[in-house]
Amino acid sequence: MNHGLSLKIGPATFRIGSAWRQPVEALARLYADYPAPADGIADFTVRLEPAGPFRRWLRPSIFITGDHGLADAAPMSLAHGLLAAEMGMNLQMALGWRRHLLLHASSVEKGGRALVMTGESGSGKSTLAAQLGERGWRLMGDEFALLDLETGAIFPFPRLVSLKNRAIDVLAAEAPAGRMGPLLAGTAKGDIRHLLPRSDAVERMNEGALPALLLFPRFGHESDVRPVGQGEMFMRLTQASTNYVALGEPGFAALTRFVKTVPARAIDFPSGEEAIALVDRLWAEWA
Amino acid sequence: MTVHRRYCQDSPDAIASCALDDMVLLYHRSSGQTHMVISPVPEILATLDDGAAWTAGEVLGQLARLYDLGAAEEALPQVEAHLVELTALGLVRIA
Repeated sequence: MNHGLSLKIGPATFRIGSAWRQPVEALARLYADYPAPADGIADFTVRLEPAGPFRRWLRPSIFITGDHGLADAAPMSLAHGLLAAEMGMNLQMALGWRRHLLLHASSVEKGGRALVMTGESGSGKSTLAAQLGERGWRLMGDEFALLDLETGAIFPFPRLVSLKNRAIDVLAAEAPAGRMGPLLAGTAKGDIRHLLPRSDAVERMNEGALPALLLFPRFGHESDVRPVGQGEMFMRLTQASTNYVALGEPGFAALTRFVKTVPARAIDFPSGEEAIALVDRLWAEWA
Repeated sequence: MTVHRRYCQDSPDAIASCALDDMVLLYHRSSGQTHMVISPVPEILATLDDGAAWTAGEVLGQLARLYDLGAAEEALPQVEAHLVELTALGLVRIA
């Protein structure tokens, strides 16, 4: 690889190699305040390679690979190189991380306790976490929450927040321009712009917090709050975990402890402001 | 109906269980699979907890001391069916 960068995000370390300089330059700018791996050795390698023999120069097209990869992943345009690097790191975590139970969830922290939000893509969990992260909460992550197998604490994975479509304007109005990445127009998921978390999220990336509340957010509906039974909670969290099966009994023990000790609610909301009001109310009530 | 077939636990520590508010989770150590079950499956497995080999009729007799299961001629095929299913999953074996 001609261009490279090493990064530490929470407990995980990455070495990103690229055939082109642009994706690495974009990463280096946005991740400037993140530490490098302490021992110089990364947990995972991500490689951004040309999709074919001439595709480094001719209609440059990126194939994402690394320690873990998907053989049938569609190549991406060089203009979306930053997104490709982010997807490559996510892929390594989703397929290779074993030190925590990995939940596809966003999380924020206040007063030493964590709010965890899980839901499918488009549920609003990422945008809501990013907004809370601008309003007095510590953003722990918008994509993965790491559940510690021994202590039951949630550990951060505060990578760049991936803002999609309407969420871009919502956060651009709250966060300074210097923490926003370039607009990546017309990706497979629509327009994407990355947001660098606030400095407290980066400085405290090694600091976990015990989970106090789990929410299942759903954007685009009238405001509503519903209790979620432990059985449904367990089922949805196993679906939201990429390594539950791989971890075996320690994963079972960690997830059942989470389900039995953390209250859960499903929330519907028509706008970010109403979501934040709901979160404030539920946090005061349950956390 | 295999009324004389005897069933027993796979092994004493084959399963880690966790009761949630609306179901019981069973983690089967040898397969690594998690099963979600509701009554009467946890009660059937609890009956086999003593390590002995039981027929479906004996399991039913034990359960009937604790629960109202209705007429035996209707309950027995259901208990047998659960035991067959649990055997297929590897949670119970034929003695």
